[in-house]
Amino acid sequence: MGCCYSSEAEASDQEEETKRLLEPAASPPNKVLNGAEQSYHNLPSARTDEQAMLSSILAKTAINIIDVSAADSQGMEQHEYMDRARQYSTRLAMLSNNLTHWKKLPLLPSLTNQPHQVLASDPVPFADLQQVSRAGLSPCGAPQGHILILEEQ
Amino acid sequence: MEGTLEQHLEETMKSPAVVGVLCTDSQGLNLGCRGTLSDEHAGIISVLAQQAAKLTSDPTDTPVVCLESDSGNIMIQKHDSITVAVHKLLS
Repeated sequence: MGCCYSSEAEASDQEEETKRLLEPAASPPNKVLNGAEQSYHNLPSARTDEQAMLSSILAKTAINIIDVSAADSQGMEQHEYMDRARQYSTRLAMLSNNLTHWKKLPLLPSLTNQPHQVLASDPVPFADLQQVSRAGLSPCGAPQGHILILEEQ
Repeated sequence: MEGTLEQHLEETMKSPAVVGVLCTDSQGLNLGCRGTLSDEHAGIISVLAQQAAKLTSDPTDTPVVCLESDSGNIMIQKHDSITVAVHKLLS
């Protein structure tokens, strides 16, 4: 096996790869590597093995290839591409319009477009904060039943 | 029960400078509203209060979210499962 590699010192990586691919089927004394450059593959059986191996590799590769040229040849022409592109963009535009309309949040009433005036003004009166707390305390106890009624409905 | 809440909303609206009041549950369901605050604000008000409550480590110290504007303030506070918002004009 060593003598097969003796004349190809510069291509060791390629040989390693070839060795792995061919190893399972090749017989030890006549292992064929890079067939055209070797002098040990003149036996007909070795050539047949090599052909079979190459054929199997070709078949495996063909299975793994997705032929996109076949898809292109299914009657799609230039104007059909354009029509589809237009159709897709129209649908996308419709969808995006609906989404923006759907996501549009209602504005809270009468906020400001002059924040500096608001920030410079007096802080929120403590009485107002207390008023909110009181406003919450009273319904907090009472309407629990009210919430249950709504959820049951 | 429902009448109690409605009555409470009416009473709150009678307070000076109050122009809107809203009561919502933790899911953003509008339980009742008056004036400038309407059904479509319930979700935002509920979420604002919930997010603000996450900023405090003390569960008994519920923060009041106050949206200040030129004309008035919208104050929001969460009480247990209910959030109350009051829109009050500057006096």
